[in-house]
Amino acid sequence: MIWSGIIICGVITFLIRFIPMSGIISKKLSASTKNSFKYIPLAVLTPIIINDLSIIQNNNLFFIENYKLYAGLIAIIVSFITNNILATISVGMASYLFMSNFINI
Amino acid sequence: MELMKKFIIFKQGVLEELPLQLGVFPFGIIYGIMAIESGLTPTQAFLMSSIIFGGASQIAFVQLISSATPLGVIVTTVSAINSRHFLYSISMMEYLKNLSLKWRIILSYLLTDEAYAVSIRRFINDPSTSSLHFHLLGTGITLFLSWQISTLVGVLLGGDLPQFLDLQFIIPLTFIAIIVPMIKSISTFLVVIASAFSGLILKSLDINFWIVISGMIGVVIGLSSSKLEKKR
Repeated sequence: MIWSGIIICGVITFLIRFIPMSGIISKKLSASTKNSFKYIPLAVLTPIIINDLSIIQNNNLFFIENYKLYAGLIAIIVSFITNNILATISVGMASYLFMSNFINI
Repeated sequence: MELMKKFIIFKQGVLEELPLQLGVFPFGIIYGIMAIESGLTPTQAFLMSSIIFGGASQIAFVQLISSATPLGVIVTTVSAINSRHFLYSISMMEYLKNLSLKWRIILSYLLTDEAYAVSIRRFINDPSTSSLHFHLLGTGITLFLSWQISTLVGVLLGGDLPQFLDLQFIIPLTFIAIIVPMIKSISTFLVVIASAFSGLILKSLDINFWIVISGMIGVVIGLSSSKLEKKR
């Protein structure tokens, strides 16, 4: 399944990049279509973040002692201030490791 | 003479793309580590970087694989994340329309965020220059090589890192670092809020394709709010 997934995703990704440049479709897209392309990465990555911060566990909300959530919130603040990928990842990861290893809330 | 000019434009693309590798290289290492941690073989992890060649979508792929997500959801998610390249390609078409099919295939493959960001600036500022496509070739090849080498470094490091580090957590942190700078208006903010809340609700209800559905809800909210913003 992994290989077929990689190949299918590779072909689709190439077609996404190639089809407009191939000249098959009209260059003029409606404003709302262009807008929707702008929103898609935000709209798809956000639920993945929610999933990875373990906010839902066993179909219930999980806030207390959820160090991933707290570290994620710190990372959001760092990203907002610095606009730097490495700083966001480093501070977020350091916060999570500190909380999960040294703090008992 | 003509060959020399093409080489100079190619070299300019390479040199202008190089500073961005400070951000790309660590990202590639992170992807390589995550791919191995998620259970991919070194061959799968390494070749994915040349078959898909799209950073955020590759990290999403390995994250979803590690949580036993159905193939349909993985393909839809990767396609959705990479859909912005469709717009890049549209805006490049104006400058590359006279090239042969062979060139357009090569340049489409190399058209990533970082290559586009650097080359489109050159294309807009200097549209009359011939052989401009060599600039995109330079930026694209630089990024391609950097991504492959950094992936390989990550793959080689992957299995040897201590378990207590819980490196899977790098994935949401990477995505946070990608999306926060994209929140520049009320409508983009509402997209995040809407897809986050619908994601929470749909996931807690155990609904299949919850990532895709909450993504669609986010886009609809974003489009509606942007229309309202324009009416004001």
